[in-house]
Amino acid sequence: MAAVESSVTSPAPGWARRLPIDEKVFLWLVAASVAFMSTFVIAWLFLGSQNVPTDSYRITPEAFSQQVQTFIGKYGGEDGRAHVPPGEDAYMMAGRYIFYPELVLKAGQEYRIWISSMDALHGFSLVGGGQNINLEIAPQHAYGATFTPDKPGEYLIVCNEYCGLGHHGMKGRIIVEEGS
Amino acid sequence: MAYVQPLPRVAGMREEASRTCSVTGLRVFAGAQALTVANAVAAVLALAVGGLFGLSLGLTRAPSLELLSPDVYYLALTGHGVSALILWPVFFEVAAMVFASSVLLNAPVFSMRIGWSAFGLMVGGALLLEGAILSGDSSVTFTAYPPLVASPLFYVGYLVFAVGALLAIVNFAFSLLSARTTGAHSGSLPLLTYGVAVAAILALFSIASGLVALVPALAYSAGWIGAVEPIVYRGWFWGLGHTLQYVNVVAMVVAWYGIAALAFKAGPVNQKFTRIGFILYLVFTVPVLGHHFLVDPALSTEVKLVGGSLFGFALGVPSLMHGLAVMGGVEATLRKLGPASLFGWLRRVRWGNPGVAALTCSLLLFAIGGWSGTAQTALQLNLISHNTMWIPGHLHGVVVGGMTLAFMGFAYFLVPLLVRRQLWSIRLASVQAYLYGFGLLWMILAMSWAGTVGVPRRTAEISYGGEAPGGWDLPMNLVGVGAALAGTAGFLFILNMVLTLVRGRRTDDPELLVPSAVVA
Repeated sequence: MAAVESSVTSPAPGWARRLPIDEKVFLWLVAASVAFMSTFVIAWLFLGSQNVPTDSYRITPEAFSQQVQTFIGKYGGEDGRAHVPPGEDAYMMAGRYIFYPELVLKAGQEYRIWISSMDALHGFSLVGGGQNINLEIAPQHAYGATFTPDKPGEYLIVCNEYCGLGHHGMKGRIIVEEGS
Repeated sequence: MAYVQPLPRVAGMREEASRTCSVTGLRVFAGAQALTVANAVAAVLALAVGGLFGLSLGLTRAPSLELLSPDVYYLALTGHGVSALILWPVFFEVAAMVFASSVLLNAPVFSMRIGWSAFGLMVGGALLLEGAILSGDSSVTFTAYPPLVASPLFYVGYLVFAVGALLAIVNFAFSLLSARTTGAHSGSLPLLTYGVAVAAILALFSIASGLVALVPALAYSAGWIGAVEPIVYRGWFWGLGHTLQYVNVVAMVVAWYGIAALAFKAGPVNQKFTRIGFILYLVFTVPVLGHHFLVDPALSTEVKLVGGSLFGFALGVPSLMHGLAVMGGVEATLRKLGPASLFGWLRRVRWGNPGVAALTCSLLLFAIGGWSGTAQTALQLNLISHNTMWIPGHLHGVVVGGMTLAFMGFAYFLVPLLVRRQLWSIRLASVQAYLYGFGLLWMILAMSWAGTVGVPRRTAEISYGGEAPGGWDLPMNLVGVGAALAGTAGFLFILNMVLTLVRGRRTDDPELLVPSAVVA
């Protein structure tokens, strides 16, 4: 058994040469688990069905607001929601304290939703229907998430990045209808 | 029994009154003692403020209670982060720096003038911060992401505090040098000093990055410049915030070794292994600020993968090593007392010892919080957990369960040694540590549960006009219960510390100052 070491006095000369086999084995085990986790995360980028979105572009809040208005002009319905045809990009802006507009999508179709902030940092958190997807939304950057809604229903979006004194009231909605 | 024989006085060393510690045999210089105690007292006061804010947050997040109105909640949220995550640990770490560079090295502090200037600046910065927060116009949370703006005094408070901390690090570095040049200390640094030095180097990165983040934020707040790029600010801010959390982790590990040294007279299981562990923190810490950006726009997947996930996993390695080295060192020490079966040495531990209580709970909660954080640095898992209650669940495990509890345990030994008064109540201290650990475990599990069902963090109330998914209220009410338990235990710590300082029995009896954790 090794001599008992001290934390409060200088170690005996030669300490830098001593590393017993137990500690070496421990280090190899820990290194192996790090290698395993790292491999898994990298492999999942190619094999997994849910990964962090990679599309983004720089845009001023004014220009993005213009894109959202154009989008609503084309697809806005009587109900005040945007009915997005399959294959079209959707736009949603996050601003104190609302996600606008509400989107109506069809189940089973792939969509890309561009989101950006009009003011502070916001958190896009889709929490309805047993789902949980979270993205950081920043002004000056549009973030594009591509996904295929699989179950019809109403999905609540809440803001989960503190954005001001009305933060807890900030919400939005995505409605998924039966696919045609 | 003393650990060491103090070296004789050295020619050329500054003349200053000193005494020999009756427990450790170390030479305690009057200036170092006063400066350590002053910083420790400031730390405890900051913890009291931060804890009070924290308790009120927990009771607000419980939907059945909703103690504070949203405006006051966000004010308290800012105060909690600043007081409990920045002021409390940094004051305590400066106390540790003074102690490790003076008492452990048999030398006086390099410059008392710099030491007290640093302390004065830090106290001034802390008061500016608390004042700005309590005035109600700085409810931006401790991260203060632009374009949210706090009052200019808030940023000035941060900067003044940072300059004070920087001075304390300079004094620490020169104390190490002068201990060597005057011949007061020779050979390799003791492990505790080595660890504190690693924490100090990380703190330099943290402060430098903080200046780059906060100076433009101040200019923006004061109206001198028109805008601050929010993602760029986030990068520099987490260079401060993330690195500072690893200053805290390193200091926590030092506190673990400190508790083991005083309670068991135990060292690390192996010197080389332990010091490699400290160096790995230096290597891996800074890039892992990337884990805050895993679901941000603007950064490439490669940057997120390497800086967030891969280095994030690697950063778990040194913590695992220290967990082994601390427990292994205690085991080796207790096995010296005679043969024991695989777990038989555990019967030689006095579980009612306050240091043992704090060390045990700290190791356990840090392991839980560390695991839940490391797992979530996986790029894909972060998409599910980012900014949900999972994150405060993780960080209360590492920062409160791990760090704060370790600091409390170390303070239960260090403060009586320095003021030469017996702890006001040893039994209360041990009950406090276990209750704090239990309340935190409860709260962390409830927070993690709430996170998995999507409850957002940093949000005053979560009804969303009745639209919130079912199943959010129960875990959040349980968070409130955990916060009440931990808050009560936190109060007992403050009470015991204050009463020790003013009413503790004066003594130099080693067994009264630092009760042994070994069953006789």
